[in-house]
Amino acid sequence: MRPEAVEATSALFTVGLSKAYGSHNVLDDITVCVSPGEIAVVSGSNGTGKSTLLRCVAGLIPFRGQARVAGLPVDGRRAVRRLIGYMPQSVQLPENVTVGEVVAFFARLRGVDPEPDDLPDGFLPAAERPIGILSGGQRQRVALAVALLGRPRLLLLDEPVANLDELGREGFWQTLRELSAEGTAALIASPMPSDLAGIADRAMVLDEGRVVFDGPMNGIHAVPKPPLESVDEPEDGEEVRA
Amino acid sequence: MSATPSAIGRPLRRGHGVTALAAWELKGAVRSRWVIGTAIVFAAISLGVTLLGLEALRGLGLSGVGPASAGLVNLGVLLPPLMGLLLGAGSIAGARERGLLAMMVAQPVSRASLIGGVFLGLTAALWITVAAGFGLAALVLAGVAKVSDLAPFGGLVVATLAVGTAGLGVGIGISSVAGGRTQAVALAVAVWFVMALGMDLALAGLGPAVQLGPRGLLVAVLLNPLEAGRILALLAANPSGSALGPFGTYLLARFDMTGSAVLLGSAIAAWTVIPLLVARSALRRRPI
Repeated sequence: MRPEAVEATSALFTVGLSKAYGSHNVLDDITVCVSPGEIAVVSGSNGTGKSTLLRCVAGLIPFRGQARVAGLPVDGRRAVRRLIGYMPQSVQLPENVTVGEVVAFFARLRGVDPEPDDLPDGFLPAAERPIGILSGGQRQRVALAVALLGRPRLLLLDEPVANLDELGREGFWQTLRELSAEGTAALIASPMPSDLAGIADRAMVLDEGRVVFDGPMNGIHAVPKPPLESVDEPEDGEEVRA
Repeated sequence: MSATPSAIGRPLRRGHGVTALAAWELKGAVRSRWVIGTAIVFAAISLGVTLLGLEALRGLGLSGVGPASAGLVNLGVLLPPLMGLLLGAGSIAGARERGLLAMMVAQPVSRASLIGGVFLGLTAALWITVAAGFGLAALVLAGVAKVSDLAPFGGLVVATLAVGTAGLGVGIGISSVAGGRTQAVALAVAVWFVMALGMDLALAGLGPAVQLGPRGLLVAVLLNPLEAGRILALLAANPSGSALGPFGTYLLARFDMTGSAVLLGSAIAAWTVIPLLVARSALRRRPI
């Protein structure tokens, strides 16, 4: 297939995507292609650029290189963001609003139905419950429901089940499989790719901002382990403009 | 799992994001203990200033609302801008720290709509707070006020809302460029000190040395939204300009009443809009 055709038919296609904070390259020449319906996990040690990759594709930070979602360039325009559902690694929802109000607010921003129909019954806490009384896992369920609103073509999920209990994880993975079968692609950042065994179709491993492995999930065990040190991603203010 | 049709590609109505964000911010603000507490404090101080002003008048055997109104002018140009600055300072920086800004920006909403929605929602919250305080004062003053007192009081309310809104604009501007919420709040307080006291002290100290004439004084007023609001409220209370001394005479001779109001109002509007443009630009360029 010609490169132009791959760009147009991929759920996500990046070429030479790079991001630097000061003199430190967080992402270096990342070329990734995720097909519609594909579930891909991005793995790697802490600070290897997993979250940064997701934030670049979500249009939250400027970068060098190209990224396209369903053929549309990630360039700050709104049209492409309508195709993306994003859940950050850490989010503190306001405590003085209810679950229903949070979901309704983001649904209004997206211009979609506020009913989170894709999730299994009981996954979300009751709509009238204030966020302030929810546990960390329950709040994460709300953030996941927000990411799924309007059934986006590409889900960018940063450690989506880190706080979920076993039942919550199973419910979410089941939902993800069903969405995948209907064509939704997902790029999931996780430091523990084994958690996604049987769910993800493909794994990518980042090391020092480069893709060192890109292949089937069962091949990830062959990737050499990096030394036991974590590289902290620099503060936002230190970034170098694309 | 029921199959809902995909909403992808459905165009958002223009301004849809702004109204959703404004409603969200207003809801969050009116439920916030900080905003409720501020409203109560402002209402209590407004009531106190009004009662003390009326008591002073009665002691002199006079009637009317003059001193009470004058007290409210000082209150109105000092506290609401501080409230606006603090409310604005916590907005973008707070949302950024909580990760909520990333979730909002990832939606199909423009950065301008985001800033506009935050601004409109918080403006509504601020105006409700000011209305509560001045509403109580108006109830107390209603017993002794004459029809001729309505225009000055109305002018005072408009000037107060305007400077409070300018404070909010500056606060949002600070919030979008600051490194964090704490830094934004500290900067907002510093800006308020400069506007409320710093410029007055500088003018008092430098005035004799630099021979600042009425024209220079006008420039200094336009560079400080609090002073512009104060002059606007005093002109509304005293259309002859005598309360402003030679500066009032100069202002009215040079621009007349309407021109002066437009000039001062434009300065306050610029202090509101320019920081919002800075905020929009910062939101586009800074990583989220």
